[in-house]
Amino acid sequence: MLQYVKVNIDGAIIRAIRGTSVLHTALEYGICIPHLCHVPYLSDIGACRLCIAEHMVNGHSNVTTSCTLNVEEGMVIMTNTDKIRKLRRNLAELLVAQAPNSRAIQDIAVRCGVKEVRYPFRNGDCVLCGRCVRACNELWRAKAKGFVGRGKERHVDYPFGARPDFCKQCGACIQLCPMTIPPCDGPMKPGEERLCGQCESQLMTNEQAPGGCVWCKLGEGFGCGRYVGSQAR
Amino acid sequence: MSRLNSTRELEHLREQLREQRRNITTTVMVCGGTGCQASRSQTVIDAVRDELSRQGLDTKVRLCVTGCHGFCEQGPVIIIEPGNIFYCHATPEDAFEIVYQTVMRGEVIERLLYTDPVSGEKIKTESEIPFYRAQDRQILSQNLMVDPCSIEDYIVGGGYSALTRALNGMAPDKIIKEIKASGLRGRGGGGFPTGHKWSECKEAPGDEKYVICNADEGDPGAYMDRCVLEGNPHLILEGMMIGAWAVGSRKGYIYVRNEYPLAVEHSRIAVKQARELGLLGDNILGSSFSFDVDIARGGGAFVCGESTALMASVEGKVGEPRAKDVHTVIDGLYHKPTVLNNVETWANIPGLILKGSSWFTSKGTRGSKGTKILALTGHIKNTGLVEVAMGMPIHQVVFDIGGGAVNGNPIKAVQIGGPSGGCLPLDKFDLPIDFDVLSEAGSMVGSGGMVVMDGRTCMVDVAKYFLTFLQDESCGKCVPCRLGIDRMLEIITEITEGRGKPEQLDLLEELADTVSQTALCGLGKTAPNPVLTTLRYFRAEYEAHINEKKCPAGVCKALITYWIDPDKCTGCGVCVQGCVYEAITGSKKQVHVIDTQLCQKCGICRSECKFDAVQTVWKERHQDVAICQS
Repeated sequence: MLQYVKVNIDGAIIRAIRGTSVLHTALEYGICIPHLCHVPYLSDIGACRLCIAEHMVNGHSNVTTSCTLNVEEGMVIMTNTDKIRKLRRNLAELLVAQAPNSRAIQDIAVRCGVKEVRYPFRNGDCVLCGRCVRACNELWRAKAKGFVGRGKERHVDYPFGARPDFCKQCGACIQLCPMTIPPCDGPMKPGEERLCGQCESQLMTNEQAPGGCVWCKLGEGFGCGRYVGSQAR
Repeated sequence: MSRLNSTRELEHLREQLREQRRNITTTVMVCGGTGCQASRSQTVIDAVRDELSRQGLDTKVRLCVTGCHGFCEQGPVIIIEPGNIFYCHATPEDAFEIVYQTVMRGEVIERLLYTDPVSGEKIKTESEIPFYRAQDRQILSQNLMVDPCSIEDYIVGGGYSALTRALNGMAPDKIIKEIKASGLRGRGGGGFPTGHKWSECKEAPGDEKYVICNADEGDPGAYMDRCVLEGNPHLILEGMMIGAWAVGSRKGYIYVRNEYPLAVEHSRIAVKQARELGLLGDNILGSSFSFDVDIARGGGAFVCGESTALMASVEGKVGEPRAKDVHTVIDGLYHKPTVLNNVETWANIPGLILKGSSWFTSKGTRGSKGTKILALTGHIKNTGLVEVAMGMPIHQVVFDIGGGAVNGNPIKAVQIGGPSGGCLPLDKFDLPIDFDVLSEAGSMVGSGGMVVMDGRTCMVDVAKYFLTFLQDESCGKCVPCRLGIDRMLEIITEITEGRGKPEQLDLLEELADTVSQTALCGLGKTAPNPVLTTLRYFRAEYEAHINEKKCPAGVCKALITYWIDPDKCTGCGVCVQGCVYEAITGSKKQVHVIDTQLCQKCGICRSECKFDAVQTVWKERHQDVAICQS
């Protein structure tokens, strides 16, 4: 039997199912928390850190990822404070500087309020969100790919670098990968990287991103949990 | 020896062993720790042992190969009791003299005595040496009397009596109450109150619980955990047993890195010996308490010192941290309640149980009680392991115990707490060694590494060094740690190479703040500390690099050129021989010249020159000099 708890997210008292994450509860209710590595039907690892929120405990605020934080009775969560917005913007800036050639990452950066990128662009093609690895391991139990290496050398690869027989080329990894949607005018040439922020982003005209979900077109791009969840239904 | 079935049998064994050793008149304690082994102490041990048997003294004189004495710089170190005579830099050739003169006749060999670098006097006994005098050695002093491979030594010295007291008179609640009253805080870096951790684990639901000893020490220059574990492994086992009894655990692990072969070996031997005596296993000493310990070896990843990554590694998974929204005392190893403590924390437990919390609280400050082992290294006269009561001011550690600056350059800063700690400038040296005070100042006690730096150290370069270390050791799972450290390093590298821009300092500060607030685990959260503290206390150095393109300490290679001062050069030719790039020319008794085209700025000539003639100059000034010379 489902048990319910009451949590306070951004001032709204929400009845949430015990055992679900704060991010899930917020998205269900329509509160927008930007996220990248979270996919509704996969486990959460808290790698992208975009879904950070302030968790108020005894008057102190802890910054933690809402995808790994489970709801508890009487919890107070703030997802859209000045502090969180600034941290989230800085994280999105790091991501987009690493991988500017993805529509999804660009959309996230736009959603998080990045206007200029203060680091040199790198044209990387993986942000190690781990969606593909988890889909392969958890959905199909294939374990055909995993993380290899540590720190800067960490990358996604097949075991020992060769595609194993038990990879059935189902394509689940490709479908979930945020890098597979190129930006509107194709991959950027080195030295010409920029964030236009024009596509569908009415959000950019506002100084502050809204806290509520408006079913923005951006969410479609990066596979927002609400979109993926509604498709799955 | 047979299995012990009751406390009385343990006490009986202790009496028996003491009786056997009654006719031993002299004990020769030679350090066999890793530090002294590197100074070839094994050859000294063999030579002394041969010499003792040749003189027929085997039964009267005990040769004790001990763990680390702390003063590793002076190794191999020998202490002879009675008399507390301290010999340093011993060689195998000295063995005859040591046995013949000191052991047999009680005469002191002047040549082997320690010379105080400050006063220049020879010092006879260990307790008079300034390095030891100012210390309060509660844990390290136990290393001296014990052969780590011998459980008998440990039992003779009163070992396992804290365990018998705990099993026979102290209910788990009483132990936890005692630990809470003592105010003991985790010695691994976090400083979390140990008593709270234990009581939370005890209250946690579930029958199966674990205790873990964290001996995965990876800070550059810190080795106190290695020293304690390899010097006195039974102390750790006893601490873990008491902890297991208190929280209701039946299984423990010692997670030790494989780069510490001696610590692995000694802890294995200790576990084997304790099992043989029935101190580990079922129904320990006839009680209802059953407990066993396994050794888990780590592959040497720094991040595996983090609790969740360590537990993943023990489970046989990739050593990566996970989110700790549910604490490990509830959801730890194999998702069971787990108490994880550092080696030094476990080492404090037996003494605390025996002597009581009031003894423990008599040392230290309001928030930090007891003693702390520090690894003192850097540009100071005496380096090694020191154990001081909490609350001792930093200047006392650096100047009284450390003996001050080594080569005349004034001391500029101290880096406390390893790569995640921070640099404190000279005017903060009156701060005490205290968890709360140091973290307020931006640094932390951490594991206790203390690197002292003098005026020839560039603080931007120090920050760069630690960031490089952390970038290598980051697991790469979360964005702020992987990309954030990378970008910070990128900015700092630009600054050290003279391409920095003033606005980058604000960006650096903002980025450091973001990483420290959003990273997944303790490694990432503390990674920006070296940057934040150097920016806070040495901002002028950063600005000099950016605005004037100068490295005030003369370290950053891109900003300096080497130059020989013609007024000081005597033409001795040492630098010519030292230069591997053949960049220095000049005949004998003539002023030498460095060819800047060939010079690779390795700095060998600067360290070789006895007349301080080789100097580093900023690029512009060098051009002026070159114009003048031409």
